[in-house]
Amino acid sequence: MILQINFKSGMPIYLQVVDQIKAAAASGALRPGEVLPSIRPLAEELRVNRNTVAKAYSELESLGVIETLPGRGCFLKGNHSALRKEVRRKLLIVEIDQAIVQAHHLQVPRQEFLELVNERMDVLEDKRHANVNHKED
Amino acid sequence: MKSPTPAIQIENLTYAYGRADAVHDLNLTVQPGRCYGLFGRNGAGKTTTMKCLLNLLRPQSGHVRVFGLDPAEHEVAVKRRLAYVPEQVAFYPWMSVRETLDYLASFRVQWNRKTEQELFVRFQLDPAQRTGSLSKGQRTQVALIAAVCPEAELLVLDEPTSGLDPIVRREFIETVIGAYQEGNPGNRTILVSTHLITEFEGLIDEFTIIDNGRTVLTLDSDQARERYQKIRARFAQSPPELDLKGALRVRRYGRELELIANGAGPELMERLRQHNPEALSTEALTLEEIFVATLKS
Repeated sequence: MILQINFKSGMPIYLQVVDQIKAAAASGALRPGEVLPSIRPLAEELRVNRNTVAKAYSELESLGVIETLPGRGCFLKGNHSALRKEVRRKLLIVEIDQAIVQAHHLQVPRQEFLELVNERMDVLEDKRHANVNHKED
Repeated sequence: MKSPTPAIQIENLTYAYGRADAVHDLNLTVQPGRCYGLFGRNGAGKTTTMKCLLNLLRPQSGHVRVFGLDPAEHEVAVKRRLAYVPEQVAFYPWMSVRETLDYLASFRVQWNRKTEQELFVRFQLDPAQRTGSLSKGQRTQVALIAAVCPEAELLVLDEPTSGLDPIVRREFIETVIGAYQEGNPGNRTILVSTHLITEFEGLIDEFTIIDNGRTVLTLDSDQARERYQKIRARFAQSPPELDLKGALRVRRYGRELELIANGAGPELMERLRQHNPEALSTEALTLEEIFVATLKS
């Protein structure tokens, strides 16, 4: 898993770390039980403040994506959501609304937008399969 | 909930060398655990401000407090809790690196040998070398090791990377700051002055830009990158006459417009969109771009 910080995205740095680790988990680039890089080396590699990475990790922990085992490090959780279903839906709705607004401005109509969502889900699934097969090799 | 005592509090600080004010009515607060940037051009008043914190200069008016204490009245109490690296590092040139660090450690209650060893290896320093024959970069490295090892609560760095080559710069500033914070994350405070802002982009939590001794802007870094945007629009014909109030700066080349926005980004985007641009994009400004945009406007 290689993370990349973009200072020009306008998004808080800790959130970029959170999002990329979530994406890595969704695509299978990071597998349940796998260990995440420790805070300090990751901070150095990304050239960001150590406390920023710590904040990202504690956010991921409160979201139930990762867990910290004292003295051993941070691991990706297997079934990673500690949140109730409606809360999870609410969180997702915020993101979907943003994408819909963006689609409107980019003049992408409803049908095309929905097709695109399907397509992206397929891509992610393929990636996940590829990662799983790779593991079995 | 009572907020903790700020690590640094500067109120209405004024200091003049002769007639010219080097620092004028400056205000600045650094909360514990933050990595705080003091950005300004050469001669903006960064070093003077830092020297007032360290009681190397007495404020002519205003107050400075370090850990809630007046550094003039409680000099020892303040200095034992902080470490300072000046822009010009000087050691006794006949001492070896080892002797220099032992000498500096003798003034301190605490000295983390493990961190010292780790940084020695990282920087590939030779403990037996005399400090007089070190390069400027190596001298700064030794000074930073000496500043980090006492594990003080506050680290004050004055232009730590100026005059160093880019490879050395890239390599070591994160290493040092990482090593410093590691001991007690969340409670180690850093005040760093620089005009080489790019190197500190990801490290700085919050910053103040000063110019001619005055505060120009104080902001949280994430908020700053969210508020300051560069918007580019390209039109089929020459750009329409637009109400571009709220833009910090506007540049036109032919069919293209480039705006710098401070907070008004979304409204400006909306106004541009109404004129059906061929292309419309936006990106955040980096801290260095914000610095330049702020001082130019």
